[in-house]
Amino acid sequence: MIEFSTQTGVSVIELARPDKRNAMLPEMLDQLHEAIKASHDALALVILGQGKTFCAGFDLKACAADPGGETMRALLTGLSRCVGAMRDHPAPVVLGVHGAAVAGGCALLGGADVVIANRTAKLGYPVVRIGVSPAVSSPYMLAAMHEGVVRARLLDTELIDGSQALKLGMIHELCEETGDVRHRTLEIAESLASKPGSGCKATKRWLNEICSVSGERAGAGLNASLELTGNDEERARLAALWGAS
Amino acid sequence: MTNEQTASSAVLLKHDGSIATLTMNRPDARNAMSVEILDAMHDAVDAVRDSDASVLVITGSGRAFCAGMDLKAVLIELSGDPDMGERLLTRLAELTLKIRSLPQVTVASVNGAAIGGGCGLTCVCDVTISHADAKLGFPEVDLGICPAVIAPWVVKKLGAGVARKAMLMGGVMSGTAGHEIGLVDQLAPNRDTLDSLTSDVAHRLAEGGPKALSATKNLLNQLDGSLDESMVMRGAKLSAQVLATPEAQAALAARMKR
Repeated sequence: MIEFSTQTGVSVIELARPDKRNAMLPEMLDQLHEAIKASHDALALVILGQGKTFCAGFDLKACAADPGGETMRALLTGLSRCVGAMRDHPAPVVLGVHGAAVAGGCALLGGADVVIANRTAKLGYPVVRIGVSPAVSSPYMLAAMHEGVVRARLLDTELIDGSQALKLGMIHELCEETGDVRHRTLEIAESLASKPGSGCKATKRWLNEICSVSGERAGAGLNASLELTGNDEERARLAALWGAS
Repeated sequence: MTNEQTASSAVLLKHDGSIATLTMNRPDARNAMSVEILDAMHDAVDAVRDSDASVLVITGSGRAFCAGMDLKAVLIELSGDPDMGERLLTRLAELTLKIRSLPQVTVASVNGAAIGGGCGLTCVCDVTISHADAKLGFPEVDLGICPAVIAPWVVKKLGAGVARKAMLMGGVMSGTAGHEIGLVDQLAPNRDTLDSLTSDVAHRLAEGGPKALSATKNLLNQLDGSLDESMVMRGAKLSAQVLATPEAQAALAARMKR
């Protein structure tokens, strides 16, 4: 579900469940976390998705099939761990969104240092619709975007396109074509990896300190999402989505 | 009434009514931050603080606004002084704090290149004016060094996410691109129209009550943590450590030879 390779200082992690729009499963997030950790020697880390879209978020079919809520809890915990690991990665993280980054998929943006997307990509956090709280993402989003923007994005279920995401600071650069995202993301990572000495890593470490997301804050966001998990509203909405009992 | 007052030849200070203008004046060195220019700026900013001005405009003479740290001074093989980097960075850190805590509203009028620490200086100011063809940016990482002194100011100006991209990717951008990401607040179409735009903005700001302006600025400084000196001063130490590494010194030496 995750593919991982390293070439000339650039590690590339790909979400590799293309037939499911790279929907996240708990074991997929475990693999993602392992890959992020395994790439610590890289000079730049790239995160991409295979297939037609970057990531559709949690695999809600798997969540609906687990009325006890363990799957949802494992996904929320795994997501928080992955975003934290991206942020803590010593080298800059470049993430390329092609097609769509929705809900948990969009949450990964919070851990990246540079985000590229195509102009018509769809981005957003429409999770309150299924009775889930996006609180888990909020500490990282607040460290990247203005507070007013974060409020609107987390509470409104609307998906916005790449152009608007650029204006709001959710992404940093646009590609005109979906097919250009991969190339441009790799190009930026190679440029970052080619910079001399320790300036880039020192700068990232310092920026993390200036705009820190403390473990405590990240934990509070995760807990707020976890506390809601398994409630009647969420179960009913997930079941309705999949026609389950 | 125009009152020409020369704090030193490295910096010109002019008072025109309630508007003071500080001009970095080492055009041959692209107004790079040397000990001389930083000392002169400290003196000039002290003089402005004690003056009746309510607006301070900072600009550069010649083609550049400020090319950043003086590479000749921080390159140890040239200066022969391994502590010079930290002294300069500390002096810059103190200057940014001094400018930020001025009661006057500050305007950066970016006439040309504003690079590294020079671009950081614009982020310390309350309003930045530039023109489409100016060059702004943070190419420190391209030289293996770390813009730690100015990072807290860049984060406050651009927001953390945009600042992260700008400082990690290095390079420079046009005034137009700077305007798009919020680095430049007011954009003139070209260099020829910058001075009149700067004058318009400065006069408009100077229409405000001086007490209301300084009270508002002080409140904003408190809200965004601008008065916390520790981050900026620690940034000077960190920047100096990275600057002294052999990799950074080698990259700087290669740049000097270009």
